[in-house]
This record gives sequence, C-alpha cells and structure tokens, in this order.
Amino acid sequence: MSGSPSREDMLIQKIREQFPGLVKEARVVRRSRPEIVVAPEKIVEVALFLRDQLGFDHANGVSGVDYNREARFEVVYHTSSLENKETRDLVLAVKENLPRNTPKAVSLVPVWPGVENFERETFEMFGITFDGHPRLEKLFLTDNWDGPPPLRKEVRFPTD
Amino acid sequence: MAVPEKPAPVAAAEAAAMSESGAQTLTVSVGPQHSGSGHMRLIIELDGDIIVNVAPDPGYVHRGIEKICEVRNIIKSIPVIERPAIIDSSNLNHAYIKAIEELQGVEPPPRGKYLRSLLNEMNRIMSHLYWLSIYGVFVGHTTMFMWPLGDRELFIDLAEKLTGARITHSYIVPGGVRRDLPQGFAEEAVKRTLYFEKRLDEYEKIFFNNPLFSSRAKGVGVLSRREAVALGCTGPTLRGSGVDADLRKDEPYAAYPELDFDVPTRKEGDSFSRSIVRMDEMRESCKLIRQILKQIPAGPIRRRAPIVVPRGEAYSRVESARGECSFYMVGEGGDKPYRVRYITGSYRNMAAIPVLLKGGHMADMPTAWWSVDYWPVEADR
Repeated sequence: MSGSPSREDMLIQKIREQFPGLVKEARVVRRSRPEIVVAPEKIVEVALFLRDQLGFDHANGVSGVDYNREARFEVVYHTSSLENKETRDLVLAVKENLPRNTPKAVSLVPVWPGVENFERETFEMFGITFDGHPRLEKLFLTDNWDGPPPLRKEVRFPTD
Repeated sequence: MAVPEKPAPVAAAEAAAMSESGAQTLTVSVGPQHSGSGHMRLIIELDGDIIVNVAPDPGYVHRGIEKICEVRNIIKSIPVIERPAIIDSSNLNHAYIKAIEELQGVEPPPRGKYLRSLLNEMNRIMSHLYWLSIYGVFVGHTTMFMWPLGDRELFIDLAEKLTGARITHSYIVPGGVRRDLPQGFAEEAVKRTLYFEKRLDEYEKIFFNNPLFSSRAKGVGVLSRREAVALGCTGPTLRGSGVDADLRKDEPYAAYPELDFDVPTRKEGDSFSRSIVRMDEMRESCKLIRQILKQIPAGPIRRRAPIVVPRGEAYSRVESARGECSFYMVGEGGDKPYRVRYITGSYRNMAAIPVLLKGGHMADMPTAWWSVDYWPVEADR
C-alpha cells in the first residue's frame, strides 16, 4: 500500500465531508470497489450528490440481499461513471439497510432512470417496496404468482 | 440532467385507449411467441401506425438462476450460468469465475488468461453472427439469415476443438481453464479468421451498404448519448450512441491489457450505427484472435483453486457480446455462495427499448428492436 490516499479513499472522504454523520460505514473492498452504507431516508440526497457533483451518471445494477439472521435486507446500488475515462473502472456500492419486517425504501428512479427494472425485480423477489417508483409491479414473475417473494431465504429450494 | 419520460403503464386487457392527443389508440401485443431469440412480449400502444407507448413484458424464460446458485456448489453452477446466452456462454462464465477468484484471491496463470480471452473473442463473433442472422429474418433478407449462420460454424468448430463443446463450453474454471490448445489449432484459427474477414466485406456489400437495409435502419430507433448513459445501456447499444466504453479497455482483465485493439463507436445512435458497431467489433475480434495466438505465453493453464467461496463480497464484470455482464457475490465460507446477483447486458438494455421505439412507426419496430440485440433469455436469467 502506498502512503498517499488512493482515489477510492479520496472518493469516500469527499462523500463523508458532504454528508457528515450520514455515511454510517465506508470501506474499500478492493481496488476500484469502494462502498458506503447510508441511511435509507437520505439515499436520494446522496445519490443526487454522486450524480451531479461526482459524475456517477448511471447505475450498473441494484441487488437485494436477505440477511435473515440479522433481520435485515440490504439494497445495494452499484454505480459508476462514463464521463471520465480514467475512473470508468470505479464501481461504487451504495448500500442501505432495511428492517426485515417493514422493508420500505425510497426509489432512485428519479436519479438514475435505468434502475427502474432493477427496483421492480427487487420488489418482486424480496418484497421490498420503493416509494416513488413509477411502476412497482411484477417484472419477471408470472402475474398469478401468489407465493412469498422467492429470493427470501425462508423460501427453500425444492432440492435443498 | 433531464430524466427521460417513462412510458405510462399499459394494461394488457385494454384493447383500446385514448392517447394524449385524444385520438383512439390500439394496444397490440407483440409476442410472447419465440421471435427469433427467446420468448418475451412487447405491449405496444399505437395511434395509427405510430408507436405511442411501449411496455416490455419479460419473464417468460425466467429460470431463477440466482436462487439456484445459492443452493449449489460453485462448480456445479457453471453450466447454469452459461444457459441464459448459450451463444455467448464463455463471457458469462468468465464473469462468474472472476467473482469467485476475486473472493479467493486466486489469479490464473498468464497462459490461462490468454486462453480465456481467446474463447471470449470467438464467442463474441459467434454471438454477433447469430444476432446478424436473426436480423436478416427480421428485415426479410434471406441471404443475411443463411450466411452468418453458416459462417458461425467456422468458429463453433474451433471452439469444439478447443473445449470439446460447440456452444456451452464450461471452459473457464476457478484458477484457469480446462484444456490447453490442441495441436494445429493456431494455424487453423488464423486461416479461418482471414477467410472470415473477407466474408465480412461481402456482408457489407450485400447487406449493410444495401439500401434495402440501410434506408430502413438509418435514423430509425434513435437513442441519444444522454439517454443511453442515463438508462444504463451497455455494450454495442451504448457504443452505437457514441460512448467509447468497453470494459476490455476501461477495466482490463484476462489478456486484454497486453493486446492492441480499437473500440468501434458510432455517434448517430440509430439502428444502423448499433449494427455497424457489431460488424466492426467482429473485425477487431478477428485481429484479437490472431494476436492472442501469436503472443500466447508458454506455461501452465490452471492454478490450484479451492472449491470454497470465502467470506466477503466481490463485484466482477466483463464485456460480453451484449455489454457488461456483472456478478455481485456474497460469500460466507462454504462451497456455496450466500447470494449471487447476476446482471447481464440484455437486462440493462431492456430499459432502452421503450425509449427508442416510442414515436416511430410500427413497421420500423423489428428493425429498431432487434438492433439492440435484446436476448430475452439473458435478460430473464
């Protein structure tokens, strides 16, 4: 490790300075892969800052993770920038934790319109609702699916 | 940055509705019959023959692969991971293995990396050829349906020699690849790529420079650079709108840091530019295959890797034929991952379909839609 702070560290520092106290956790997982954990109610503000000030112009994907033993869901927005060629390899993970019994999040479609389908999938697969989403309906599941959200951990695979 | 307008929801049962102008509109369901690439449906609202609204309705080929991966040993998941796009299987396979290797801290030996890139480039050509032949069907050009499928066999045969399988190779494994180059492979591959480049010239003459196609594709299904970026488009769809993003350059992996190639782009953002980008990519892939075979270092092809997903998180991505294929993997120490998130190029490009179809003619729909190379199976996973 070199002595000077890496660009990942500097990115995290910039976000921390902008939102003191809001970024609950931040770390660099490995090269080009920083991550921050933010409060669910402030995620829109953080995302707007990332988009408008730091050039994170699109989302690479949205992932839900069911940490049932910790009674929480985690929603991860992977975002990166096409604007600046030098930082195209950087993928920032913006995470939020939601209580498992009331999984309510705020939609980031107004910030990154590309997340619309990903949030819909996270809704149908985990039962997480996204407030402000233009069309929160099933995406891949059949219309007559009435079982529990299938990617939740309590849904067992038939052969498991 | 302006946020593109979202299409309003279209109820399938609604046979007729009122458009914004007050005119009576007609809702047409395109699909979910197999239209050449897998089952999916577009619900299109028409005012005359002008498309007012489009709502993609995917999910007819959803396999639940993310769930399957949670209950299977990482090695056993490899064939499942390849299934969504069997024509481009090694690129998807590569992204998955890269995520595992990131968690394990294993790096394949140099020869293994070159062999991975070799199969990746062969798959890119095979996939683009399949796309092109279906495009021929979509625009009613029978020759362009037959030729690419025939020429695709050149590379399928090569892949079979290298991996033992024609399309679903399961070639890339943690730590390297399964088999080394067979005898005489390099000579045969160079010969075939040189022949194929001549064939590409003929494709241009008969199809791309043919007004029968070009006049139907130019200016049709335009996706601006700003829309393409904001919607998170990727691969040739993004490069056809003027963004020179390619993970082989932007985040070089496998043998790509040592290889010399260009990233073809077009700035028009229409169906023609997306198509010609793929055409140019096939030429680059031919050059890459020859370079790889010339530069490939000697040595082992595989390093020992444990069959374990260590505790931690990884996010890996590769440039597949349809754009970025990424895996977000959470491990907890066993031989199965805790969570696998699998996002493909088609899934991301699905967001662009309503934007580029809206306002166009229904008659232009096949040309515009298929220029995205949306692969329903790859999107549904």
